[in-house]
Amino acid sequence: MKTVDLVERIEGEAKLICSWKNNKVSDARIDFLNFRGFEYILEEKSPLDALIYTPRICGICGQAHLKATVEALENIYENINEKIEISNKAKLLRQIGLNIEIIDSHIKWFYLFIMPDIIKLNSSDLGIYAPLKGKRWLEACKTASETIKALAIIGGQWPHTSYMNVGGVMSDPTRMDLINMQNYLQIAIDFFEDSVSGVSLEDYLSFDSLNDLEKLDKDMKYFKDLCFKYHLNVYGKSHNRFISLAESNLFRSGKIKQKIVNKIDLSKIAESNEYTFSLNEKENISKKHTWSKLVTYNDNFFETGPLARAIISNRRFIKELHKSFDDSVFTRVMARVDEMAFLINDTKSLISQIDLLENSFIKPKISLNDIEKASGLSVVEACRGSLYHKIDIENGKIKAYDVITPTVWNLGPSNKKEKGIAQKAIIGSPNIEIAKIVLRSFDVCSVCTTH
Amino acid sequence: MNEKKPTVVWFSAITCNGNTHSLLSSNSSKFELFLKNFDFIYHGSLTIDKSLEDIIKNQEQIDFLLVEGAISSNQKFFTTSNDSTKNILEKLVQKSKYLIAVGSCASFGGIHAKFTQNDDVCGLKDAIEEENKKKLKHPIINLSGCPVHPEWIFQTLFSLKNFKEISLDDEGRPKELYGTLAHHGCTRNEYFEWKIEGNFGQKEGCLFYNQGCRAPMTHSSCNKILWNDINSKTRAGMPCIGCTEVDFPRNNMLETKKNMGIPLEVPLGISKRAYLSISGVAKTFKIDRLHKKLME
Ligand code: SF4
Repeated sequence: MKTVDLVERIEGEAKLICSWKNNKVSDARIDFLNFRGFEYILEEKSPLDALIYTPRICGICGQAHLKATVEALENIYENINEKIEISNKAKLLRQIGLNIEIIDSHIKWFYLFIMPDIIKLNSSDLGIYAPLKGKRWLEACKTASETIKALAIIGGQWPHTSYMNVGGVMSDPTRMDLINMQNYLQIAIDFFEDSVSGVSLEDYLSFDSLNDLEKLDKDMKYFKDLCFKYHLNVYGKSHNRFISLAESNLFRSGKIKQKIVNKIDLSKIAESNEYTFSLNEKENISKKHTWSKLVTYNDNFFETGPLARAIISNRRFIKELHKSFDDSVFTRVMARVDEMAFLINDTKSLISQIDLLENSFIKPKISLNDIEKASGLSVVEACRGSLYHKIDIENGKIKAYDVITPTVWNLGPSNKKEKGIAQKAIIGSPNIEIAKIVLRSFDVCSVCTTH
Repeated sequence: MNEKKPTVVWFSAITCNGNTHSLLSSNSSKFELFLKNFDFIYHGSLTIDKSLEDIIKNQEQIDFLLVEGAISSNQKFFTTSNDSTKNILEKLVQKSKYLIAVGSCASFGGIHAKFTQNDDVCGLKDAIEEENKKKLKHPIINLSGCPVHPEWIFQTLFSLKNFKEISLDDEGRPKELYGTLAHHGCTRNEYFEWKIEGNFGQKEGCLFYNQGCRAPMTHSSCNKILWNDINSKTRAGMPCIGCTEVDFPRNNMLETKKNMGIPLEVPLGISKRAYLSISGVAKTFKIDRLHKKLME
């Protein structure tokens, strides 16, 4: 038997096609049928305009695209041996902005996209978690909107600011601004302690064993109990291979395949559009079924995202959960909520490292408009995982722009050799509700996937 | 409150969901007030009780239809709920009293209309059949902006709820929100007046002369109704890119086009000659205070 289901309440929409055998999903396919053509739109534009365009690839992870664009453009200077200087202050302000956006996204994802479905397995009354009316749902929204103010202080607004520019950042915060940002982050800490985990941030950050699961209270406990009741610690397992491309204060880059962490070689990343629709109608033969491309590293599929980062960056609590429950829905969601705690803590410390006397912006000596031919690339850890941008410029204009989003790693189609990450995870689900939860555990952003 | 609350349906067409996240980043008391006064029955990413299909099949009227994103009839590039965004929109419009374009894509096509390989991406006004437009109780309201300011949505909805109509400018935008320029209220106005140029990464100076600030030519209230309750792009140091106007996105948004050192485009409503002479005069005054750093 085959079923076709529309999956809403993600960023955008996806079509989930499942084959069933013995009351279990025996095969799954995910189609993304929306295409906006950003890579094409960017052709022939002036390179700096990409700073305005790419954040608009996605309304929730615009800062990741902005940072990727600015760093890819700066990489162009490096590649033509034109030294450009970025102050440590600017680097910090960029990372802080990105981190805050990720925290905002993690809060929304857990409460708006994950919790309602998990609770629905158990009861029709979502109570305090009910969208638009439940007390906790509203508190989560409020916390996210207060937290994001910390980014608006340096970015002018959120969403869709382009405050990062080639040479640094456009803003120049005062000490009071920085204190204000710390205060907004404190609202996120309070929420994490009072409602998300029910333990102090300090205690939470010291968790390092399976037994610590018992210390959880509030929503993480509720989530955990429902996961065990409905076997979400068993469902949702994929290839158990992880990749994280970019480094930061908190994250290490690397990949894990049979417990080995290797150095990343970006040239081993390969995109394929074998199953992806083409702009040229004649090429759209029957095996093409989605607008998402597929991406592999060294010819293998890897999962990217908070779980990959937790394991590669050696965060103890999640590593312990992973030992017992592999890459299940439970571990994947826990990794993301766990990352929220680490990010809030880390971002507060980054803010305190800013030296206000440094320059925010140092103008590059030559303009990108005057560069005849060059390329640049960059990698960034976005909320959903690794983001890759590559820009080719010719005669001062963008010749080609390639974006590989985290969702392409996780949600792209299979190749001949093996199933894609999310597809493999969905196989084995006992009903469509669980299959959708598995799919959602990757945080599906259909707009990013196809861009 | 015995009165039946007006219903609100949010339809997401070709978009990045930025307007949704703008709404979720609104002042939370205002957001809750909005939820108390309106019956927000459908949003593809937020609500859970009804699907888009339920809304379309349901006989009930929609009071306020909010649309985020551009529209296209081309199903090759864009299908949502197994249909084109244009077909779904037409079905929804027939049941709706008010139609509000949320953001620049829904208003004018915005960034997605730049994808020329799909040649019929457009805003609501151009997408809807005339006969369906006539069924509406009010001309289409364009809340342009990339994204729209959440407070602009609330103010529009509350005024329509209370007064049934709202006065619009030539581009279909509420006059009260778009009557003044984005420049109005910028903390850099003094520098603008005395023609003192700014740089990226500085608190001082105006971004009109070199960084491409479009605020003197852009209708919006970004510097009066602050973003996230606290700030605006130009206050922080990012030039206005004119995202509420029909011609957004333009080319070379982060630099000012100039002719012999003078900005090619001058503030709205001023003749170029007048602007030139006043600039010349202003520049002769050396105001010490404004040439210094605000703080060391
Ligand atoms: S920066 Fe822009 S908005 Fe601010 S004063 Fe200058 S022109 Fe006006």
